[in-house]
Amino acid sequence: MTERIEITDFVTGEAVEAELFDDVAVEHFLEAQEEWRPVVVEARWKLSATGEQHLIPRHAHWDWTNKEEDLKLLAFTFYGLRCGGKLQGLMKLQTVGHRCRLPEQIGKPLVYVDYIETAPWNIKLLMRALGREPQYAPIGSVLIRAAVRKSIEEGLKGRLGLHSLPTSEQFYLHACGMESVDKDPAKQNLLWCEFTPEGAERFTTGGTL
Amino acid sequence: MKVNNDREWLKRQAALEDGDFVSVGGFVESMGVEELAGAQNVIPLRSAFARLIQLARRERNLSCEQFAARVDVDLAEVLGIEADEHYRPALRTVHQIANFLGIPDKKLLGLSGLLKVKDAQFQKAALQFAARAEPVEKLSQEEHSALEEYVKFLCER
Repeated sequence: MTERIEITDFVTGEAVEAELFDDVAVEHFLEAQEEWRPVVVEARWKLSATGEQHLIPRHAHWDWTNKEEDLKLLAFTFYGLRCGGKLQGLMKLQTVGHRCRLPEQIGKPLVYVDYIETAPWNIKLLMRALGREPQYAPIGSVLIRAAVRKSIEEGLKGRLGLHSLPTSEQFYLHACGMESVDKDPAKQNLLWCEFTPEGAERFTTGGTL
Repeated sequence: MKVNNDREWLKRQAALEDGDFVSVGGFVESMGVEELAGAQNVIPLRSAFARLIQLARRERNLSCEQFAARVDVDLAEVLGIEADEHYRPALRTVHQIANFLGIPDKKLLGLSGLLKVKDAQFQKAALQFAARAEPVEKLSQEEHSALEEYVKFLCER
């Protein structure tokens, strides 16, 4: 599947064409690793001068070699977003094996966001460290919207769950409107966030404000 | 469910997202690449990496150029790996070589110094291999001539 969508140029505010695709291959992870990683390292180095390097999640050290095996498994779905000839975001979903934790839908199956990352040039903190403006938005939202769609396709009505890193809580709770459930001791005390079908609908139809 | 794909939604989400991090914890604490690799551990493993590539290439009777073509990497990468233990190969190069040789990616990434390796046994085996693979046989006539000519050239300069 390849879908043409529009995203926004962060600086001009103009709409630009992008491609959302699900035929992700190991080359995409290699591309992400090779092109994203040096930018993150440079930004971390700049931030270390002001003692702010801790603001960059350790998750930046993800391991693409694990994902190569996952590409072959039906239980996982991958999405990528390309714009301006470059990969702008990647996401990995797990469609089986995870269940809801919110009391009103506890135990029901959901789609789990196992991995999601946007290119470092779309992250404000990193670009400010490098004296630049972020490039495109809203990469995270477009990917999460794709995850909600996948949940609907799987008959899970938009139910979605994930473990948010502390640096991402603002995005999931406020930009997406997901519900905060609790810190998960089994997952480094990361915050478990969840979409109900209603919450997912509010998000995808623009009712998060 | 109707999914809103209009520009208003994008604009609103762009403003709300505001260039935030979106990372999740599914893969948190996965192994560190490159900058976490302690420099003191990298050099010995890289020498094992260099010897491994060189022997694997020679075993197949391939020149560096032929090896680079078969593996689909730049010749400069192969030369850099074999000749310079400080050389940092590209991830793609290591991935391609791993595929070609049928060696797991992670193992070769560890040897190449791109991946931190905590396994003491892995390190010890790499060191032993590097030591054992160091050639001790007499030089061939061709090598002898090449060496002699090059030393002569250096002395004359």
